[in-house]
Amino acid sequence: MVEKEYFKKIAFLKDMPDRILEKIGAISQLETFDEESLLFRQNQEKALLYMLVSGKVFLNSRSGSGKFLTLDEVSPGRTFGVSALLGGHTSTFTAVCAETSTMITVSGEQMRQLFLEDFEIGHAVMLKVVELFKSRMEMHTNQFLHSLASHPEIKGA
Amino acid sequence: MVKIEDLKRINLLRDIPVHLLEILAKEAQLNIYGVNTQLITIHESVDNFFMLIMGQVAVKKELTPKVDIIFDYIQSGSSFGTSALLEGSTASYTAVCQEPCEAITLSGKRIRELFKESHELAYYMLQGAARQYKNKMDIRAKMIMKTLDENPELKKDIHDIEDLTHVI
Repeated sequence: MVEKEYFKKIAFLKDMPDRILEKIGAISQLETFDEESLLFRQNQEKALLYMLVSGKVFLNSRSGSGKFLTLDEVSPGRTFGVSALLGGHTSTFTAVCAETSTMITVSGEQMRQLFLEDFEIGHAVMLKVVELFKSRMEMHTNQFLHSLASHPEIKGA
Repeated sequence: MVKIEDLKRINLLRDIPVHLLEILAKEAQLNIYGVNTQLITIHESVDNFFMLIMGQVAVKKELTPKVDIIFDYIQSGSSFGTSALLEGSTASYTAVCQEPCEAITLSGKRIRELFKESHELAYYMLQGAARQYKNKMDIRAKMIMKTLDENPELKKDIHDIEDLTHVI
């Protein structure tokens, strides 16, 4: 069980009504992981949603030829493993603690069960996920187009 | 009004219970569009949510006044116009029929009203939209990884792959 005050530090959930935070808190845990703890592996189905309270987590990906690349460094207040909320999705990266880290974890399966028992919560959380994913896709597309527009061949067209 | 059987052909609706499909079937329209019809215009409000039954739609953005970039082709069974499901959201791309298209449309205004009446409908439709975004983001991330694998010297130029890691 996690007190709702912890969620006020998490960007993804901080604006949710207390009623929703209390229900999510009831099925959540506050856990501390040592440096170099492996949270989940690339290509594994994601079971948990992670909300980082303190510490740092690296998200790494291994390419077809076996090279490792750090895609993201997760800082406190951010949430990862969101696809656990959608079910049936494997992870595109491996998550490893870069330092001792405290995080709220919640089972994706239990969250999906909560959504089915209380569709108002499912609606509120899924709306937030869609808005954030949409914004991410747009930022990425714009960045890509900006890079492309700077290409000498395009500039000269 | 459309047939429930037609709605079942749409990927985003695949997990929606039949009683919710019945609600959508009453509200939806089946439309046919000619080649080059512009269904969505960038930066404008999106009035309809589209579910493509037949044909192909190009998703594009202007790169320069002379160059448009097509960054996705929507095929039958796919949906687009997610902005119509979100209050106050505008289009981030232009969508144009590449060939004659048949699409089921839902009025954005009406669907947002239905979401307020039925959180169950909202949950299932938004879950479908989230899965669709996740799949597209995964494809992009894999393409970038493959490119970096073949051209490691490009790594210094890529600063935005974190936008695709689903960290929020």
